[in-house]
Amino acid sequence: MTQQQVFPEWRHEPLDGVLYQCRELIEDSKFPTVQRWRANGGKVVGHFQVYFPEEIAHAAGVLPFKLRGASVEPLKADSHFGSYLCSILKTSLELVLSKHIELDMFVTHPICDAARNLAGVWGRNFSFPCQILYLPQNANSSHACEYLRGEYDRLKRCIEEIAGRSVTDDDLRNSLNVFNQNRALLRELYAIKRDTPWLLSVDEAYSLLCVGGMIPREEHNEMLRAVLPLIRERSVKRQDKIRVVFEGGFCEQPPFDLIRTIGRTCYVVDDDLLIGLRWILEDVPLDGDPLSQLAEAYLEKSSYSPVQHDLRKPKEAMLLRRVADSKADAVIVTAAKMCEPGLEEQVAYTRSLDKERVPYFVSEFEENMSSFDHLEIQLETFMENLLFD
Amino acid sequence: MSYTAGIDVGSTYTKVVVVDGNRIILGRAMEPTGFKLREVGERTYSRAVEQAGLKKDDVRYIVATGFGRHQTPISDVQVTDLTANARGVRFLFPNTGTILDVGGQTMKASRLGDGATVKSFRLNDKCAAGTGAFLEKTARYMGYTTDEIGSLVSTSKESVSISGVCAVFAESEVINHLSEGVAPADIMHGAIVSLVGRSVQLMKRVRMEPEFTLVGGILRFERMVQVVREQLRAEVNVPEGDLVQFTAAFGAALLGQRRLEKLEESGASLQRV
Repeated sequence: MTQQQVFPEWRHEPLDGVLYQCRELIEDSKFPTVQRWRANGGKVVGHFQVYFPEEIAHAAGVLPFKLRGASVEPLKADSHFGSYLCSILKTSLELVLSKHIELDMFVTHPICDAARNLAGVWGRNFSFPCQILYLPQNANSSHACEYLRGEYDRLKRCIEEIAGRSVTDDDLRNSLNVFNQNRALLRELYAIKRDTPWLLSVDEAYSLLCVGGMIPREEHNEMLRAVLPLIRERSVKRQDKIRVVFEGGFCEQPPFDLIRTIGRTCYVVDDDLLIGLRWILEDVPLDGDPLSQLAEAYLEKSSYSPVQHDLRKPKEAMLLRRVADSKADAVIVTAAKMCEPGLEEQVAYTRSLDKERVPYFVSEFEENMSSFDHLEIQLETFMENLLFD
Repeated sequence: MSYTAGIDVGSTYTKVVVVDGNRIILGRAMEPTGFKLREVGERTYSRAVEQAGLKKDDVRYIVATGFGRHQTPISDVQVTDLTANARGVRFLFPNTGTILDVGGQTMKASRLGDGATVKSFRLNDKCAAGTGAFLEKTARYMGYTTDEIGSLVSTSKESVSISGVCAVFAESEVINHLSEGVAPADIMHGAIVSLVGRSVQLMKRVRMEPEFTLVGGILRFERMVQVVREQLRAEVNVPEGDLVQFTAAFGAALLGQRRLEKLEESGASLQRV
């Protein structure tokens, strides 16, 4: 495994400095951590949203890099897609076409009609392997776990080829352990946001989370271990803001400035931003067959999103549970422009919120939008109605 | 007694009002905003609390508003100046249907619904031509200060045409008028007529309904009020004296009272760390 530090900037910084460095990194469309990893001979698997079993790449010593689009103009990628498609498809391809990042493998998933075709589009443009990981369409089938284990095994063999080495069960168990630690730390991060939201705004939490998809997890774990106590010690006045769940950030990401705008208007106590990084909710057992355990965790110990269809997890019921668990007063229901799964789910979400009399605010976003003034006033007016009327 | 405060960090001036549970104003203070928003908010707040004869701990809830509202960490919550003005204006003039707020760098028209809710609003474009800055620049071109605008324009006999399309281009118009021997008072009057023309357009876009209430620092010039009245062909309400500048801060303080009532109604308590 290539053991190296690719994100030294946060070290020896006070909390505000760490947050600043994370923000700089996630907004840097040159992806310096990926460049450093490759400069040291490391291989990179770029995986499209939403969920990817990063442990398999990690076990092979390959950096799993979460492709989440970027604030770049899709000058080259635009001609590869129809105008009716969402932005993240275009900007993710643009990053590689314009050599912002270099990959050794690309993996997409059939999460929507557009993403299903990404491997084909990418495969025609690049010489590295472009794969589709077929996550089970029917999560309720009794064969789903066995099927998914087979898919993971196929993926493992592809990654072994680019890594130039085989992956043992012990390698996988080691990776499961590293990622279990990461998930536990992220649960702590979200617990701070839920229980004491004045200590950690949604944009700050997002910065700390997002970096995890760009650096080795050991390094992310080290950073989170250093930062979490500093957040708890923060001296910040608690304000009388509305507690809100943000729903709609599972795939294309809202612009960072929009997240910051939302953060100063209300307390976001839970969200689905980059939910793939927090998809598995509990530790994956380290005993038994690691690929089976990982497959079972995907199905049985997981969060929800509009792109996974599991009859045990109706999305609207899961949203209401998220609202109740986080003691939220209201919900921001949003979706990326042209995102079919996200926009479709808005209907079910809003109906169930109406039924349960949970106030909500509906909007759309696009990763490259740059003006938030009007949206901010609308959002503030919504919050003011809840506070004073 | 439940004391609350409203802090209006405006683009030009920061205003603070402290009220008691009977909605009586106990103290108020104002300072130029400058560029250290956090400091000016805290300093002006301290002065208002002192004037009210209170200690800071006596104030149970602080609402910040204005363009610098998010730079006011001492506040319990932040609200838009639309909401704050609506609350303040409805308290002062309960029959208000439309508010025109002309500040140093912004102009806003809003139509009110039941209670003190904002049903529709429009802001001026990001352009000084629709704001108090337009008048300030016009005065400065002619060698007058902002404080002299009121006395200057009171001597005007008639207004001259100022296009008002752009505060920068207006400079050449002013120079032309001066070179032609037009009195500075009439030029200033023309600038006011131009500014009010833009204001009325904004009010039309929110489908204005009477009564009309005017707030904001620029409305302290009596001629401005008179021109609005002429262009609307209707009577207008203007808060007395310098309260016209404090309406948003007053409304914010009233919102604080409302929030405390609501928390008491729901049995919740305000927790401050």
